[in-house]
Amino acid sequence: MSVSRLAWIAASALVFCVIVAAWQQAADARVFSPVFFPGPDRIWSALHRGWTQGDLAARTATTLGHMLVGWLLASVVGVALGAVIGLSPLASAYLKPTLELLRPLPASATIPVAIALLGLGESMVLAVIAFGAVWPMLVGTMHGVQSVEPRLLEVAHALGMPRRRVIRDIALPSAIPDILAGLRLSLTVALILTAVTEMMAGGDGLGAAILDAGRLMRSANVFAGVAILGLIGMAGAMLLSILEARCLRWRLAS
Amino acid sequence: MSVRVRQAKRRFETPGVAIEAIAPAPLIRFRQVGLDIGGRTIIDGVSLDIRGGEVVCVVGPSGCGKTTLLRMIAGFVQPTAGTVTFNGQPTAAPRPDVAIVFQDYGKALLPWRTAAGNVALALEAIGLPKPQRPARIAELLALLGLGGHADKYPAAMSGGMQQRLQIARALAQEPTVLLMDEPFGALDAMTRQHLQDELLRIVTDRGITVFFVTHDLEEAIYLADRVIGLAPNPGRVAREFDIGLARPRDQLATIEHPDFLRLRRALFEFIKAAES
Amino acid sequence: MSGLASRADRARGLCLPLGGLLVAEAAARISGLDSTTLAAPSAIAGAGARAALDGSLFAATAQTLGAAFAGLVIGVVLGLAAGIAFGLVRPLDRLMEVTVELIRPVPPVAIIPILIIVSGLGFRTEVTTVAFACIWPALILSRSAVRGVEPRLIEVSRALRLSPLARIGKIIMPSILPNIVVAVRLSVGFALIVAITVEMTANPVGLGYAMIEAQQALDPALMLAVLLWIGGIGWALNALLLLLAARVMGAAARQAPSP
Repeated sequence: MSVSRLAWIAASALVFCVIVAAWQQAADARVFSPVFFPGPDRIWSALHRGWTQGDLAARTATTLGHMLVGWLLASVVGVALGAVIGLSPLASAYLKPTLELLRPLPASATIPVAIALLGLGESMVLAVIAFGAVWPMLVGTMHGVQSVEPRLLEVAHALGMPRRRVIRDIALPSAIPDILAGLRLSLTVALILTAVTEMMAGGDGLGAAILDAGRLMRSANVFAGVAILGLIGMAGAMLLSILEARCLRWRLAS
Repeated sequence: MSVRVRQAKRRFETPGVAIEAIAPAPLIRFRQVGLDIGGRTIIDGVSLDIRGGEVVCVVGPSGCGKTTLLRMIAGFVQPTAGTVTFNGQPTAAPRPDVAIVFQDYGKALLPWRTAAGNVALALEAIGLPKPQRPARIAELLALLGLGGHADKYPAAMSGGMQQRLQIARALAQEPTVLLMDEPFGALDAMTRQHLQDELLRIVTDRGITVFFVTHDLEEAIYLADRVIGLAPNPGRVAREFDIGLARPRDQLATIEHPDFLRLRRALFEFIKAAES
Repeated sequence: MSGLASRADRARGLCLPLGGLLVAEAAARISGLDSTTLAAPSAIAGAGARAALDGSLFAATAQTLGAAFAGLVIGVVLGLAAGIAFGLVRPLDRLMEVTVELIRPVPPVAIIPILIIVSGLGFRTEVTTVAFACIWPALILSRSAVRGVEPRLIEVSRALRLSPLARIGKIIMPSILPNIVVAVRLSVGFALIVAITVEMTANPVGLGYAMIEAQQALDPALMLAVLLWIGGIGWALNALLLLLAARVMGAAARQAPSP
């Protein structure tokens, strides 16, 4: 990383600090009602207290678990189904119209149905997250394997590669950029749906904690929970960037 | 063995008479080949024999079916009339001893594999046991002057290097026949000359038969034992030019040779007539 | 030939939805289904028709779409303004980088409890949440699109001494129009999800609340009818936007050769 890039990041972090300081000043001066907008100091102490004495760490772990398991389910199903539909015209003919009907369904609308079918437990949470997060992955994989460079398929044909090898060595690798883009999008969706289902289902995740804190007008706790959700999202995006950089080295080579 | 075959062929060729009577059966044989697609005739009545070890270049105005003939040998396209045979067998499907080099190297290489990985693809396809691959890869990359670039991705290589890599991958199949579809068309003049000489050196050493499509007439004369001139609408063989120029060829001496200039003029006039 | 094949494909595509429908109906009839979670397709259709006839379905639709649309417009406009500013002024973009990257990953629905404290349960909370969700696609896509505007065009606008506003209006906006359309398509999807979520948690009106109400009243037929209706709306909006996108891209393509 170049020196100027680091300098800009430092400057940008400084800007963030200035914003936080201004917020602190405003809170101290009671520009907003402290009931609505707690100052950064109170949010920090709520975070600290919740993490060391309260159950914030356990709730964060629960939420992370929901998100990751749901996301993983969605990834496996999405990539597998996307590859099958992308590679087999027959499977595409049978399955694609049904999926096109299901896809625009807003994932949150499935929550009441999932609650009715599965109750308020873990399986409902995971089912809703997986259902919502599966689409970007499915569409990405499908698009990826379908847009393989035709010349590469000719190369494979000329080399007499069997279909299984064409899928493994040509179709799936060339779909990797699309699959990664799908992973990124579905991570966002998974985090949103994790928060929502936890709000709806109660339980011991962050979503329920935030909603309860909101009902009790404990705004510092709400902000603390929201901050952790944001950090989870950011950590996920960063991990994906690292994965992307590793998997797409060949693209950055030029 | 293949070197000897080639030398034998040369000896047959020198007298310049009755080659057909003495030479062994042709390796690739087009017999009255035609191709109709959707009621349009693309190729009509092409008959052509290509002997083992021969370098044949195909020229002609665009739309005359040069690439289609190449794809028929490859087994990608089946004629709707006549037959294309390889060693007496119809070319129904691609075969490992026929390798192709495409013009668009940028699309024909796997961008997510390194130079070594791209050569490995062909070795995997012919089923070479894994322990033997690294040595073969190193040898092939060195042969094409890519020895120091085994770990580079295609995106980090120049056009000339990428095309060298594609040739290395084709040679990894240990082909009897190399099909080349305007392989040097997208390269700059200097790179093209280097690759022409290297190609001639390699195919002469190994006795590989070459079917080379090009729109560059001088390239055709420089490389070929024989140049096939096609005419369009529908695509058909209009003329054959025997190139009697001495080998090994040389970018200066060969190109300044009176026979080269005479052939160049003849080919130019042929193309002009075929285009009109 | 291809017509025949595509007709066969269409028939294949109908197998699964129609087959599922028939199996569900048959299973419900044979088992004499009386469930609090499932309903026969015919019962769902009936419940949907009743809700449509008494107008409640359309009233709820209007509430949901109204809030979603208001939030969408606010969010996309804010996102575009910020995205264009960040795209044009690199230092501004770099200075705001940490702040934006810290706020962006916050899931929009997580701010619902904050908004409940600030503005209570209601329309404002719904619109604000939707707007928050819709800012990001517009910001990210317009920022990168502005950076990708042909530098020659920017030079042209400099040479013509266009004012900054004229430059945005005459050069930037037309060049990034296709990206804006993509951003709007993404945002519409988000807007509907978020609006329905807010209605389930914080604003007891609209289609989201209608579903929750039906679920709690143990009326699965109505719940599933609303779900299908929401799916239909999502599908129709998507189709509409694809049409719009095709038009805009078509117009851009037609205008491209002219000076």
